[in-house]
Amino acid sequence: MATPTEQLDDSEGGPLERWTKRAIKDPQRVYRALFYVAMAFFVVTTLFPFYWLLVLAVTPRQNLLSGSFLPEIDLFGAGMTFPLPVPRKGFAPGSFITIFEQIPFHLFVLNSFVLAITTTIIVLFVASLSGYVFGRLDFPGRALLMLGILAVSYFPPAAFLIPLFEAFAGNEPIVIPFTQIPLFTAPRLLNTPGSMVIPFSGLFLPLAVFILTTFYAQIPDGLEDAARVEGTTRLGALFRVIMPLSAPGVATAAVLTFISVYNEYFFSSLMALSPSAENWSPLVGGILSYQTQYTTQFNLMAAASVVGVLPVVILVVVAQERIVSGLTSGALKE
Amino acid sequence: MARVQLKHVTKRYDDQGDVVTAVDDMNLDIAHGEFICFVGPSGCGKSTTMETIAGLTIPTEGEIYIGDREVTNLPPKDRGIAMVFQNIALFPHMDVYDNISFGLRLRDYPQDEIDRRVERAADIVQLEGMLNRMPEEMSGGQRQRVAIARAIVREPDVFLMDEPLANLDAKLKVHMRTELQRLHKELDTTIIYVTHDQEEAMTLSDRIAVLDSGQLQQIDPPLTCYNEPDNLFVAGFIGSPSMNFVEGTVTETAIETPNFSLEFNPSSVDDVSAGDEVTLGIRPEDIYPGELRDEVPDPSGQIAATTDILEPMGDEIFAYLLLGDGETSMSQELATNDQLLMSIDPDSDLEEDEEIEVVIDRRNVHLFDSATGEAIVHDLIPYETDSSASGSEVESDD
Repeated sequence: MATPTEQLDDSEGGPLERWTKRAIKDPQRVYRALFYVAMAFFVVTTLFPFYWLLVLAVTPRQNLLSGSFLPEIDLFGAGMTFPLPVPRKGFAPGSFITIFEQIPFHLFVLNSFVLAITTTIIVLFVASLSGYVFGRLDFPGRALLMLGILAVSYFPPAAFLIPLFEAFAGNEPIVIPFTQIPLFTAPRLLNTPGSMVIPFSGLFLPLAVFILTTFYAQIPDGLEDAARVEGTTRLGALFRVIMPLSAPGVATAAVLTFISVYNEYFFSSLMALSPSAENWSPLVGGILSYQTQYTTQFNLMAAASVVGVLPVVILVVVAQERIVSGLTSGALKE
Repeated sequence: MARVQLKHVTKRYDDQGDVVTAVDDMNLDIAHGEFICFVGPSGCGKSTTMETIAGLTIPTEGEIYIGDREVTNLPPKDRGIAMVFQNIALFPHMDVYDNISFGLRLRDYPQDEIDRRVERAADIVQLEGMLNRMPEEMSGGQRQRVAIARAIVREPDVFLMDEPLANLDAKLKVHMRTELQRLHKELDTTIIYVTHDQEEAMTLSDRIAVLDSGQLQQIDPPLTCYNEPDNLFVAGFIGSPSMNFVEGTVTETAIETPNFSLEFNPSSVDDVSAGDEVTLGIRPEDIYPGELRDEVPDPSGQIAATTDILEPMGDEIFAYLLLGDGETSMSQELATNDQLLMSIDPDSDLEEDEEIEVVIDRRNVHLFDSATGEAIVHDLIPYETDSSASGSEVESDD
């Protein structure tokens, strides 16, 4: 008796009415529909800037500031515009080559890469040692010390800029506070990778220490004991057993540090006294140097941004699985 | 030659202001090739003692020697030891081959030597053909065998095993136990084995070291610990089910307990005189139903009792007996004076709540000083007469 009625219901009414009836019978359909709507929203808001970057990059410079990007279509006398993937202002992919011709952009990318990798290695090494100590050893003042390290990341980085700039300029000796007694004179580090890697390492260390501490603390004591009995030192056990077993955590810390440094501009733009590749100016410095006193070449800046983003996109896609499992497992395990 | 010596080893922990003594002045001398079991309840210091030998814990005081070397402050890797852990502790990110060869690779052995040794070790623990598996793909018993192979592959002077069978099921435990004994025979290495399971200790070891509260209670061959326990703790710990303890007072001719008395000649033993408070220790298998009196080597008098609960085990029945009026007068930990546990033949037609009479084999009654817990004698000698006549039944002795 029920079956014919349902069939009747399904076939009656307009499309919306029919959909509503089916949704009432099967609420999962609503959730699924909402999921797709939400997904679509996030995909559009995330990918649209990147799409717009591509559009800008391939638009000829003289057309950038005049007219509309949206093509006009004459629909039976009613003029309408649609955002279509092909801009009607012309197609000039040459900007992807021009960016390397105007300035040595590849060197800026390389600078950022070198800075990011060096910082990541330093951070991983130091954070591993401190993660081991905080996660696996018991000593008085541990919580206080951990809080102190985390406090570093609470400061705005700008607060460190002026003192660090003074120190790295290497003009004045560093003195004992409130006295004139000199301690040492720092070497002149401005325009060298040292002036960037040192503050980056310090700034990004707390997060890495925190991540690795939670991971290293979860490795059973027995495994470390076993490694030590088998013939490693404590350090050997850390690098041969504890670190490989915490691979998701190490990958998370590494990728977060790498991306942060790769995208960094504030410190590096000031530590490199001019935005040139020889002064270790990073990627963002390179992108901004397409802006001169008289012209702003938005198409080149867009093209350079696309080129600069690609390595990180590749890195994240490759490491994604590890990062996701690292971020969640650190939070969920016990 | 790997003789292991502990001299006055003490380990104290500072637990938030409280000083906890985990190991208290431990002195041990373990001969080469000996199989020693450390046995004791949880928290008795047996694992800590082993960790000091392994080097995972540095003792607060005292010295440790392995062979002729003092190793007290050496790191674990330089002590010539190998260890099997309670939680097995295989490296989960390495396959069986890498796990077993880990120690050899760290010591830069040549590749063909590593292969040869790994193969031999795998052969001993019967792991052929599994060298490429990951630990997570193996059963508990197989993992345990990998852990043992990892220990023997380095041909250490001393094996340390920290409850290696604790996480295995009962059947596998018995199987691995015999494998360990076979291994000990094959390798001729000193083995120190920690367990809380006195049955494991009895079956495996050449000597048992019984520990309690960080102190060595007795170190002797298993049967000596069983038949001649040095004190109340060892007597209660070794043997399953546990020994019966009954408190009593020595008189000129007997030991009087609230519910019965045993003939005893105090002058046969040096340290006892009339009036002393003592604790009797009687194993369940040394109590017999009254009708078997003639088969008992040196029977006591008949003792009236009521069966309480029967626990048939298959090869024997444990019968809980209530003495006297059946009401527990004193509830102390070791001396539950009104209750006795008796082990009887499974064919017996004993019923619950049945009034019976039992006799005790006096040859196997242990006598302990109630105050110190030290053993006095392990064999009650009555003052020379025929025991049948004077055996007294004392139900209400006051």
